Formats: sequence, C-alpha cells, structure tokens
Amino acid sequence: MTSSPELIHELRASRPSAPAELRARVREIEAEQPARARWASWRFPVRRGMLVAVPAAATLAFASAGVLGLARSDVAPQTYRQNALGKATAESAPLTGSGGVVPAPSRTQGSALDQSTDRAQRVSATLTVEVSDSDAVSRAAQDALDLTRSLGGYVVSSSVSTGEEGSASLTVRVPVTKVQEAITGLSGLGRIVSQQVTIDDLQETLDQLEKREATVRSQIARIRARLESETLDPQTEAVLRARVQTLRSELTELRTGISSTEAEARMSTIQLAVVTPGAFGAVAPPSRIDRTIDEALNVLAWEGVVALGLLIVLAPFAFVAFAAWLGRRLYRRREEERLLAT
Amino acid sequence: MDGVHAVTIDAPRPVHAATPSFAAVAEELLDDVYGYLLYLTKNRAVAEDLTGETFEAAFKKWRRFDPGRGTPRAWLLAIARSTALDWFRADARRRKREERAEAAGRRDESSSFGEGFSPELAESLRSLSAGEREVVALRIVLDLDGEEAARLLGISPTAVSTRLSRALSKLEERMRDHDVVA
Repeated sequence: MTSSPELIHELRASRPSAPAELRARVREIEAEQPARARWASWRFPVRRGMLVAVPAAATLAFASAGVLGLARSDVAPQTYRQNALGKATAESAPLTGSGGVVPAPSRTQGSALDQSTDRAQRVSATLTVEVSDSDAVSRAAQDALDLTRSLGGYVVSSSVSTGEEGSASLTVRVPVTKVQEAITGLSGLGRIVSQQVTIDDLQETLDQLEKREATVRSQIARIRARLESETLDPQTEAVLRARVQTLRSELTELRTGISSTEAEARMSTIQLAVVTPGAFGAVAPPSRIDRTIDEALNVLAWEGVVALGLLIVLAPFAFVAFAAWLGRRLYRRREEERLLAT
Repeated sequence: MDGVHAVTIDAPRPVHAATPSFAAVAEELLDDVYGYLLYLTKNRAVAEDLTGETFEAAFKKWRRFDPGRGTPRAWLLAIARSTALDWFRADARRRKREERAEAAGRRDESSSFGEGFSPELAESLRSLSAGEREVVALRIVLDLDGEEAARLLGISPTAVSTRLSRALSKLEERMRDHDVVA
C-alpha cells in the first residue's frame, strides 16, 4: 500500500530530466537566433511609463498653473481695485430718479450727455474718485467746491472727514449746460473709480403742467367774461366767483410746479465721493503672492474642468474596454479549465 | 492538505538580484520546464517540443524579463504554461477533426511519460486530469511554494492547495488499486 509521504517521495525521485538531445537543442537556441537590434525588442513599459507620466502630468499642471498665476498677477491689481471699489461705491451712493442710468467709465462723458436737446431733463451724476491720501481728500474737496462755484453752481451738502482713511462726500448742483464741464473737472481730481450719469426726461411733465395752466387760464377768462357781461342771480354769481378763486389757486400751484420743473431741468445734481485707497477695508489690494495663488488656483480649476470633461468623454470607452478585457479574461480562464480538465 | 497528506515543501529558491544570462538560466531550469510540461501533457515527445518552443519564446522575450518582478523559474513556467495551453487548444481542435473522421483514440496510444517513472506511477498519473498533474508538478516535483504556484495558475493559494490535495488523493487511490492488483 502506498501512503502519501511515500507517494511524494516517489514523485520527487522520478523527477523527469530533459533528454540530452533537448538540452543540446536548447543550448543552440541562443546561437541560432539572429542578433536582434536592441530597439527591435524594445517595448514601451506601460507600468513604469504610468509611474513617470502621472507625476509628470501633475507636475506640469501645477507648474503651468504657477507660471500663469505669476504672469497674470502682474495685471491683476487694477482689476481687483476697480471691481472692489466699484461695488462699494455703488452700494454707498444710490442713484436719484427713475430714468436711464448711463455708466460712464471713461474720463470724459462723450455722448452720455446730449446737451443739444431742447427737452427738459433732470441730469444726475454720481462720481467716485480716488486720491492718494487724507490730505489730498481735503484738497480735492476744496477744488470741487471751487469748480462748482466757478461754473455757476452751488453746494447742496458737503462732508469731509480726515484721518488715516480720509473721505469726502459732496452734493453739488451746476447748470445743466455746464454738467459736462463739471464732470470732466471733478474726474480730474483723482483716479476715477466709478461714474454714473442718470438722465430723467421732464419734458412730458412740463408739457402737462403748461397745458393745464392754459386750460385754467382759459376757464378763468371765460368765467370773468361771464361775470362782467351777464346779469346773474346772486347765487350763480357766488358760485362762479368761488370757482374763479379755486382756479386761481390751481394756477398758482401750476406756476410753482412749472418753475420748479424748469429749475430742476436747468440744474444738474452731482454726487461726488472722494476716497483714499484704504477707505474701503475690502478693497485693499491683495499681495502679489495672494494674487499669484488666486490665479494659479483659477488655472488649476480650469485644468480640472478640462480633465473632468475628458474623463466624462473617455469613461464610456474605458468602461467598454475594461468590460471586454474582463470578458476575455473570464473566457480564457474557463477555456483553460476546460482544456486542463481532460 | 487537511492533514491527510503530509507534504513537505522546501523553502523557495532565492530570487536573483541581477539578471542572469539566458544560457545559465536555460541550463539551470531546463529540467524544471521539461518536467512541468511532461506532467501537463503526459507525453514525452510533446513535452520536448513544447520545451523547445518555450525556450525559444523565452529567448525572444529575455530582454523584457525583470528579476524584480519574479524569479526566472516562475517567468519560464508562465511561458511554458502559455505554450502548453496553445498546444492543448490545437490538440482539442485536432481531436475534433479526428472524431469527425472517426479516427479518435490515437492520442492515448501516444501518451508516455518515458523513463524514470514506474509503470504504476505513470499509469496513475495518466488517470489524472491535466490540471491535476499540473499542480502536482508545480508543488511536488518543482517545489514551487503555494503563492508562486497560485500566481502561475491564476488561482488563489487555497485553490492550489485544494487541487493538490484532490490530485494526491486520486493518485494515492490509483496507486493503491495497483498494489491490490499486484
């Protein structure tokens, strides 16, 4: 009877040895095979390639983000300050009227103000200029007042605060015919940060008031003529005289309204804010490093978006390829089992 | 082994740190490859042919052999296995053709383990499937450890152990039958 240790011993003892002919044949293989060029047998080492390619791609992505971030950080400060200050002044200086808002980013007004029209218009402007320091704020405020007066205008309100972060807020009125000149002059007080011009049409209101005035005048004239020419009973006469009185009151109000509207159309309102760079806490320009990091992160985010897009596009193909590979592998495994079961 | 078969497995051979020459590897491992293929195909002539094919293929791929990823023996046995499986596929197709031509049966006549095997052992080995002979060859004859054999066969070490245990039980049973008959 054969036990397992004995069987194993026998199996090992009967370990096959290759015949001498086979050994000789194998020895000749190296000599018989033609010398293959090194490049001919070279194959791209996929795994090693991936080990190099993945970190290299990551390094390239980070390096390009860093370089682009550094390059873009040169032009960033103006944009940062402009955006931040613009937002801040827009919040702090509400626009008057309900008419169209005409943002005027350039130093000169250009076509924003059409002075050639004969229509009555209410012109309002909001202007923010930045000056270097607190002393410059005082000087700019004074210059603004001088300019206003020289143009035939006047100051509605003025507030100047000095200190580390000086600022000034002025509301002035200048003749509409001089508004262009005023804005140009005020813009020259410092670096213009934001500028808005609002124009409301008053002509329609004025026309209605004048039309009503004419009607009232006509009614008053007719009633007067009747009172003078006709013989009326006391009651009717009393009613007509009361009516004339009412119409006169209305006429007075209409004249006041017309005068007020015309005055409004003659004078424009300009709100001027003079600020220093540190006046808005949030607008302190970021350092070069911060800007570089921000820009680099932006670039990285875009690279991520591109990578994600590629992943989304390629994922179905990769999935199909993986499924095919898996299926082939399973098929071969089963085939091997079937072949080796015989 | 479930305590049934007390198989003593030698420690695996040390891994070569540097790439040895192909000639040295071929000289050292020729018997291993041949023995493995003989067990797998149970035919000496076929095993010789496949051994030759294996070493030719190995020589062509020799530059790509990386000692860091495995021993030359495991690498060569993997090539030998692939070569043998190709032969099995071709043999299966050939048998189908023969069956169609009613010429089946010749294959068994050509089976022979050659010298060194007792008739009982050769007969018993012939009764095993190729897969069972393969695991006996790898684990018992060539002394591959469980992990190495599992990697080569593409199955788990537990599956290797189970397959070996079953093969040895079967072999033992056949040998016992021969003893009884004798």
